[in-house]
Amino acid sequence: MSMISEALVILRSIKPAGLLVFLAVLISLAAFPLVVESPYAHHIMILIFLSVIMGQSWNILGGYTGQYSVGHAAYFGTGAYTTMMLMQYQQVPPWFGMFAGAATAIAMALIIGSICFRLRGPYFVLASIAAAEILRLSALNTKELTNGAEGILATDIPPLKIGSLVVTDFLTKVPFYYTALVFALLIIAVTCIVQHSKLGFYFQAIREDQDAAHSLGINLNLHKNLSLAISAAFTSLAGSFYAVYIGFIDPTTVLSMDMSVQIVLICIIGGIGTIMGPVVGSLVLVPLSEALRSNLITQGLISAGLVSEESPVGAFLKENLAHAHVLIYGILVVVVILYMPEGVLGFVRNMVRARERSNS
Amino acid sequence: MAILELRHVSKFFGGLAANSDVSFALEEGMIKGLIGPNGAGKTTLFNCITGYYPTSRGEIFFKGNPITGLQPDRVCRLGMVRTWQKVRPLVKMSVLDNVMVGALCRTNSLSAAREIAMEQLRVVGLDPKSGFIAEGLPIGERKKLEMARVLATKPELLLLDEVMGGLNPAESEEIIQLILDIKQRGITQMVIEHDMKAIMRISDRIVVLNSGEKLAEGTPAEIVSNQEVVDAYLGESHA
Repeated sequence: MSMISEALVILRSIKPAGLLVFLAVLISLAAFPLVVESPYAHHIMILIFLSVIMGQSWNILGGYTGQYSVGHAAYFGTGAYTTMMLMQYQQVPPWFGMFAGAATAIAMALIIGSICFRLRGPYFVLASIAAAEILRLSALNTKELTNGAEGILATDIPPLKIGSLVVTDFLTKVPFYYTALVFALLIIAVTCIVQHSKLGFYFQAIREDQDAAHSLGINLNLHKNLSLAISAAFTSLAGSFYAVYIGFIDPTTVLSMDMSVQIVLICIIGGIGTIMGPVVGSLVLVPLSEALRSNLITQGLISAGLVSEESPVGAFLKENLAHAHVLIYGILVVVVILYMPEGVLGFVRNMVRARERSNS
Repeated sequence: MAILELRHVSKFFGGLAANSDVSFALEEGMIKGLIGPNGAGKTTLFNCITGYYPTSRGEIFFKGNPITGLQPDRVCRLGMVRTWQKVRPLVKMSVLDNVMVGALCRTNSLSAAREIAMEQLRVVGLDPKSGFIAEGLPIGERKKLEMARVLATKPELLLLDEVMGGLNPAESEEIIQLILDIKQRGITQMVIEHDMKAIMRISDRIVVLNSGEKLAEGTPAEIVSNQEVVDAYLGESHA
């Protein structure tokens, strides 16, 4: 009964205009692959959805509960490896494998959580990094299980069937597009539900002040572990999806600290502890990273006529800018963190507020 | 019946005895003042009672049951809750949300918690500011917020750690009235306070701590005429 009345309160708080925008976005996202045929565009959208899933998962633990894990590669990698190993060695279709991956990630989360949550602040951060590194080294060294540094290559993905009817054989990117979109919407919905529930209040109270939360009847260990379990389950789904989509995993990609940092950055850039934060972060980071990687800047400069392709400068840029994409990416991230400490979303919000104030 | 009983409670930090063999009982419905010089171990005692510190020795009973070693969240659910000397608002959350966090201790429904929270905000007079972000409140209102938040947990025993510290006389008077109102509602209170006029006025009985030990216990009148207490803490003007 109370669940229904809560749901009604949430529904009533949604503004009609917001609902319309949401529906419009939803419909255009659903129609996107039907209208745009370029596989590269599909690929970019899939990467954005994947990034939203990763960022939003981390957001539940880092943004709402205030526990800054820099070891989420542990859960991403757990999902990726569980799904891939089941698929490659046991012929288990990934649609089952990913749930096995999520269950394994939850078990892993509870073990890591019960150890690391004894620590607070920077010590928790360090412990979470260490936990992920232990997993990475284990994956590197248990060659008979994980194939070590050589990684696992998916040779064929079992088609998705209902009975004998083949729904899709996953030869195009479109089924991946819809799968990723559904996962992204699911994690956003879960975040919304958490935010408007007792759990969300308790998570945020822990973020704001652990001791005060503890004194108000909040079981810190239970709620931190709950938050981590939800976060880990969805991070592992992202990992499973990544493994099947890319078709190859190895410890240095799915279990690396780079991956952990990447996950955190999505939220820091977008805005921590808000539903839209990871979405904005993904919309900024994924296209930026892709543009730098494929050297769109040089191409842009050349086609705008600012730099000639034959000139020494143009040749230099064309030759080197693509190699420097990680460097430029890093510099841009530092600039955003310095000048937008609350993320892009917080920055925009503050600007809007400042304008309203100067108008009134 | 005693709602809270301390038996020979000691707390050592290394070789330092912050509390040493403290015993007293707290009668239901009473206001107990806890006074003593800075560093006498008043807040440490609160931390021991509410489970923030494990006691080094001794036992604590709440409503007749041993609670020694219980975590603060369990203690709160049993009906004992404390405020903090240095207030701890959940700064990025609204005033109402702060109090709702307390109320959710007794209910799983957000709408029920919202009602309880609004009711307690009215009690402390903060209801017009329910939508404000806690970060923006001045100290007087932060103290009231702290009071509303602990009241929302439906406690039977409140431990108030210097709720008048840093307040002007008018604000202090409001808090005094609030404490007396809470007493009227049958909630037992233990109050740490440095404002002697206030503590003498509201307390039914007073415990004096000095260097971690219980120096004296009695009615306010007995305490002000106790020569040891006057020498250790009060000074001649109160005698």
